[in-house]
Amino acid sequence: MNLVAAGLVGAVVVAVAAATAALLVPRPARSAVVGVGTVLCGASGMAAGIVALTGPGWSAAVAGLLPLTGVVLSVDALSGVFLSVIGAVGIAVGIYGIGYARHGLDGRGVQAMEPLFVAAMLLVPAAGGVGTFLVCWELMALTSLLLVLAEHTRRVEVASAARWYAVMTHLGFVAILIGLVVLAGHADNDSFPALRVAAAGLSPATAGLVFTLTLVGFASKAGILPLHAWLPRAHPEAPSHVSALMSAAMVTLGVYGIVRVGFDLLGGGSRWWWLLVLALGAVSAVYGILQAAIGTDLKRLLAYSTTENMGLVLIGVGAGGLFAAAGNMLLAGLALTAALLHVVNHAAFKTLLFLAAGSVLHATGSRDLDDLGGLRPRMPVTTAAFGLGALAGSALPLGPAFVSEWLLLQALVHGLAAGGMATAIMMPIAVATVALTAGLAVATFVKAFGVGFLARPRSEHAAAARESPPSMLAGMGVAAAVCVVLAVAPVLVLPVIGAASGRVFGVADPVLSGLLAVRLQGFTGSLSPLLVAAAVVFATVVFAVAARLIAARHRARVAARLWDCGAGPLSARMEYTATSFAEPLQRVFDNVLRPEHDVDITHYRESRYLVDAVSYRLRVPDRVEHRLYRPVLSAVRAWGRAGPRLANGSVHLYLGYGFAVVCGALLLLVVTR
Amino acid sequence: MSEAVFVELLSLSSGIVLLTAVLVLWRRELAMVIRVFAVQGVALAGLVAVLAVRESSAELGIVAAGVLILRAGLLPYLLGRALTAAGPQRRETRPLVNVAASLLAAAGLTLLALAVSAPLVALAPSPATAAIPVGMAVVLIGFFVLVTRRRALSQLIGFLLMDNGITTVGFLTTAGIGLVVELGVSLDILLAVLVLGVLTGWMQTAFGNTDLDELRELHD
Repeated sequence: MNLVAAGLVGAVVVAVAAATAALLVPRPARSAVVGVGTVLCGASGMAAGIVALTGPGWSAAVAGLLPLTGVVLSVDALSGVFLSVIGAVGIAVGIYGIGYARHGLDGRGVQAMEPLFVAAMLLVPAAGGVGTFLVCWELMALTSLLLVLAEHTRRVEVASAARWYAVMTHLGFVAILIGLVVLAGHADNDSFPALRVAAAGLSPATAGLVFTLTLVGFASKAGILPLHAWLPRAHPEAPSHVSALMSAAMVTLGVYGIVRVGFDLLGGGSRWWWLLVLALGAVSAVYGILQAAIGTDLKRLLAYSTTENMGLVLIGVGAGGLFAAAGNMLLAGLALTAALLHVVNHAAFKTLLFLAAGSVLHATGSRDLDDLGGLRPRMPVTTAAFGLGALAGSALPLGPAFVSEWLLLQALVHGLAAGGMATAIMMPIAVATVALTAGLAVATFVKAFGVGFLARPRSEHAAAARESPPSMLAGMGVAAAVCVVLAVAPVLVLPVIGAASGRVFGVADPVLSGLLAVRLQGFTGSLSPLLVAAAVVFATVVFAVAARLIAARHRARVAARLWDCGAGPLSARMEYTATSFAEPLQRVFDNVLRPEHDVDITHYRESRYLVDAVSYRLRVPDRVEHRLYRPVLSAVRAWGRAGPRLANGSVHLYLGYGFAVVCGALLLLVVTR
Repeated sequence: MSEAVFVELLSLSSGIVLLTAVLVLWRRELAMVIRVFAVQGVALAGLVAVLAVRESSAELGIVAAGVLILRAGLLPYLLGRALTAAGPQRRETRPLVNVAASLLAAAGLTLLALAVSAPLVALAPSPATAAIPVGMAVVLIGFFVLVTRRRALSQLIGFLLMDNGITTVGFLTTAGIGLVVELGVSLDILLAVLVLGVLTGWMQTAFGNTDLDELRELHD
């Protein structure tokens, strides 16, 4: 039994033990036991992932554990990337959950689900056969669904969000099921090696069908447009540490599925597959960050940012597929490296952001940015954590996303000459998309951080906020540390990720990374995150010291009131709110977002020229959802209403149906024979 | 029994089976319909008996006697009792499809049966299998009665017609359904008739008539 197997088995055993303990241990100690169990489970899975990344793979088959197919497990470097990500998120969330669960989330069921969810997610990339994969996928969906439902007794929206999530995740599951079963139908058995053999002999049409079906399922899990509708519902309504698990770990498994099925099982396929993936990624990236930029619900904003980041990852995956279809394997490896590195970075900063948002929610009871503000003196650690996460998420230097987006842009820019007309058209668009997304991300996170944490509190509960308990701070600390390490020293992860994505295309590591510089293999282009960080820190220090010195040379400071137009002291109502901060952006993208304004003016009874009150309401509905889901839902509803008309209680009508069907079938038999 | 006589007798009995099925559609008087059904039972028993003589099988002979007792004696008797329990309305006054259209439909169904059973006949052409379409037609006509007639008793007769049709096809295709199987099926039929007879009586006491569409009120 090698180390990968030991790690995986350990993770599952610990998770089951922790879940059992959650059912038995009394309430005061429960969250601590479960937290420790989750941490151990995550650590065990992460260890297995790291071993798989650095060493040879591992595979095993246990017949009889599942009916018909048995359990087939196989872990290679690609699985290793995702195992490590999930494990690491599990560690941070486990620590955080100890304190957070005391906030009324320490019921038996919810606590038992948490380690099981982590274990189920760990098993998905470890699955080596269709049957095993689908069972683990469904287990992951069910445990996460139960966790989303955790607070259903407190808010009514939770039930609706969970319904959306349940329906969409299961429709996605059905799509994946059909796709993989069609593929497995051409193979000797359902293990991945057999599928690889079978895929070589598949007709392009069948392979395209398999890929499209699985893409639908995996994209819905990854929150890609237009199947993202569950994400901005379920993420805000789930407990925050569960949101972190879902957004940082579970959602990335959609990307894993696309890479595994598209590149590994189907062996690359046609160009249109990857053009489709790239286009979906680009649209999701822009639309996701736009919705995030104008959103005022902190967790909803983060959920839309997840859609954006998965969109960026899919741009990388799609570009990799395009380059591979054009025969440029090195460039394909580079694009996939950028995508996988972004998966890792996104997991780090999104965990941090969701945990910090949970800390805010814990302290103030509000997710509405317009109601927050002034948290910096009251919650210094949470503010620092969110600030770091915001910096990381906005793809600026000193943040990890900077490195991965730089790699992505390099791949896209160099890919211009890689293949035919479609690539030549698509690449500039993709570059522009990434650039626009990065800009909007900065605006989004400046808004979230500035409006949410700085200035003065805009509500009583924000004014009464208190810093969270130490275990929550420790969980955020772990995530923050990982963020800093990834930003300053990507050399720690880049070689293994590069090797893993190179192996997908059968080339060597496309990125030469040293401690000081990251260089591209075969192209000119290098970046030194460490030097950039050092320069930024140095410049900041120099500037601060210089400012102090200059200030000290002049005479002593004079305290004076801010100029307030003579209107009296500035109040919190005069601050920027999230809505007002995003207003210019909303104006610019008016055609895309189509906000709904509602102005209500009431006059005095005595005179129509004097205004008594003006009420103004602004709503920005999710337009894709509006246009795409409404018709479908109303069609389903109409279909449901037609049902009772078909079954009106008359025995003769029911018999008539049977008679008509029998006669119809017989007629068909006669005609077709 | 010579070949010619066998074919004549077989054609006669199966012809009567089909004719009585059509007559059930034609007549509205329920007492008359029951009598027609009894005649069909006799014809069916005759058909089985002809087959029994042809194959000189004692077992088939016993089955023929059983069919005669059940379908020409016991079932018509039970139906008659149900009819008296069903109160004063002894006519199928308003069928959902009127008589003329029903007869046309019966013609169409017979054609359909003929077309559908052609491959069955082609499997083993013989005078016995050539009569299979008759059985199929009786099944379809029975189903048609079930769909279009309102009285509970007519429904019962439609159901029994279907069963007669199935039995006919069974005897014509195989060298004889086993005695045990036939016995089991007959017991099922008997039970169904008893239960439905009781149901008819209950409907009469509950609603004052036995129109099945009255049951519409019961649905949720």
